[in-house]
Amino acid sequence: MWSTLVSAIGFGVVLASIIAIAAMGFTIQFGLTNVLNLSFGAVMTVAAFAAYLANRHGVGGWFGLLVGGAAGAVLTLALGRGVFKAYARRGARLFEMMMVTLGLSLIINYAIQAISHNNIYQFAVLQSTPLQLGSILITRTQLVIVFISIAILVALQVLLRATKIGKALRAMAADPDLARASGIRTGQIVILTWLLSGFLCGVAGVVYIINSQSVGYTTGQLFLPLIVAAAILGGAGSPVGAVLASLIMGVVTEVVSAFGSAAYSTVAGFGILVIVLLSRPSSVRGGQAGHQQLTL
Amino acid sequence: MTAWSYYISTLAVYFGVNVLSALALNLQFGFAGVVNFGYIIFQSVGAYIAAVVVLGPSSGTFQQYVFGARLPFPIPLLLATAAGAVLALLIGLFTLRNIRRDYQAAILLILSLIATQVVQGYVPLFNGSNGLTGISRPFFSSLPLSLQGYQWAYAVWGLVLCAVVYALVTWLSRSPWGRALRAMRDQEEAATAIGLNITALRLQVFVIGGAIAGLSGGLLVEYISAWSPDAWGYAETFVIFTAIFVGGIGNYRGVVLGVFLVPILFLELPRFLPQFGYPGLTDSLEWVAIGAIWMVCLYVRPQGIVPEKRSIARRRGAADAPVGEQMEAA
Repeated sequence: MWSTLVSAIGFGVVLASIIAIAAMGFTIQFGLTNVLNLSFGAVMTVAAFAAYLANRHGVGGWFGLLVGGAAGAVLTLALGRGVFKAYARRGARLFEMMMVTLGLSLIINYAIQAISHNNIYQFAVLQSTPLQLGSILITRTQLVIVFISIAILVALQVLLRATKIGKALRAMAADPDLARASGIRTGQIVILTWLLSGFLCGVAGVVYIINSQSVGYTTGQLFLPLIVAAAILGGAGSPVGAVLASLIMGVVTEVVSAFGSAAYSTVAGFGILVIVLLSRPSSVRGGQAGHQQLTL
Repeated sequence: MTAWSYYISTLAVYFGVNVLSALALNLQFGFAGVVNFGYIIFQSVGAYIAAVVVLGPSSGTFQQYVFGARLPFPIPLLLATAAGAVLALLIGLFTLRNIRRDYQAAILLILSLIATQVVQGYVPLFNGSNGLTGISRPFFSSLPLSLQGYQWAYAVWGLVLCAVVYALVTWLSRSPWGRALRAMRDQEEAATAIGLNITALRLQVFVIGGAIAGLSGGLLVEYISAWSPDAWGYAETFVIFTAIFVGGIGNYRGVVLGVFLVPILFLELPRFLPQFGYPGLTDSLEWVAIGAIWMVCLYVRPQGIVPEKRSIARRRGAADAPVGEQMEAA
């Protein structure tokens, strides 16, 4: 009983690390640009497939993370500057932009389905024998994933709190017009945001398939609810919030599936979403939407 | 010739089902501004309920499900309608609160992703991924009709339901209640100020839409006599939305035309073309195309998504209007 709980928490932390990497990317992007980007999961899938293809061509091991990260960064920047900005110029606002990202996710997801012949592919890299830490059974690869997630959180915090770029990012997230008026090069900061969040999105996609050892066209789409819920629960623009929210969601999901069944673990994820709604963090409230605008 | 007759009568049934969906979504989205991206949940619950109350008690070996019963004809449809309404009430109670519209839409979308996983994962509910089959069609053996005759009779029955629902939603939209919906959609704060209960209005329109969705699911499942999670992917909702965009938001006649163009002509016609590539490639490409139509509609009419802007909103001044609107006004 006790050991089941501890080992479920161990799995939960691993799952949380994966959610957290994606949620940090999502929350930075969302906090700065205000785009509720539902194509995030689709970009994750693209990055995962990029790492899979790279692996087939001999780029092995952890380099796959860089390949996936680069693919995510480039694609996200292309979408942000190419597509989202064009629609914003046409007058799309918060809600319309969400619809745009949805259309994009349909196109990308089903294009991948077409290209991948609707198959699930094995991605068996970085296998290692499990280690026994107390009653937690964890592979060395999973340990590395947890450390990558922590490292990204620390790096992000340093970037946001201790550098000029981070200061500019935070200023823009708080008030884009004021930031522009104070001489911050907002355009460059937005480009940087797309690249950074896209990179994290890509890394998350690759880490996900390293852990699950398979990749298919639904990889990112099925993960999207967890990411969005973590980002909303943690508060837009806050990496620490996103990580804490991911921890709650990861641990709850795994504990429920250890004591109930996999079917109930989705219901648990659903329950967390309900709690998010009922607790309504201030950013979710409708009344303030009028003051929020897209920054692209 | 009989193959043609069979095919066209099938299309007529699908047309009826999709028109019902489009009417419900147009009432919710076009008139009340409620974005129901989880529409397919309500349709599928209607379909499941209509299926299990026809299938008879679950034997537990071939397929397992809840509420097994064997009820005569109109009752399954009525129960399907009620199921859609009840589920809409439950989901509406916590999603229709005062939250940002894009959040609300995203949450409903996520709910439809989760609903699929729950039904697939929890087999005793509706037989999991394998779904339900062998649902008998109403009066199939008792009517003195050939298969063709039955096909057409069912199509006509579907279209009669459409006509009734069409009359209902147009009447509702013109009623004082419909004007309240539009007031809420265009100027939420002003509508609150004149004493409209926004939350109650949203919930009402959500439940009515859910009932129509349940009905459409029941109509569909009694025709195709099978239902499984593959039949109600989250993306199905967007086909109907695309039809509404194409036909014109808030315009019932246009929406019926949109249904004819998008789900019927666009998605069904390719079945005549020679198949190419591996099996399933054309299906994937159709979805890509739906996404592309969606994107084009948004680009061509970025404000068109926010239904019929009234003159007051246009005159309110160019200062705070978005660029697109300024260009239109100029």
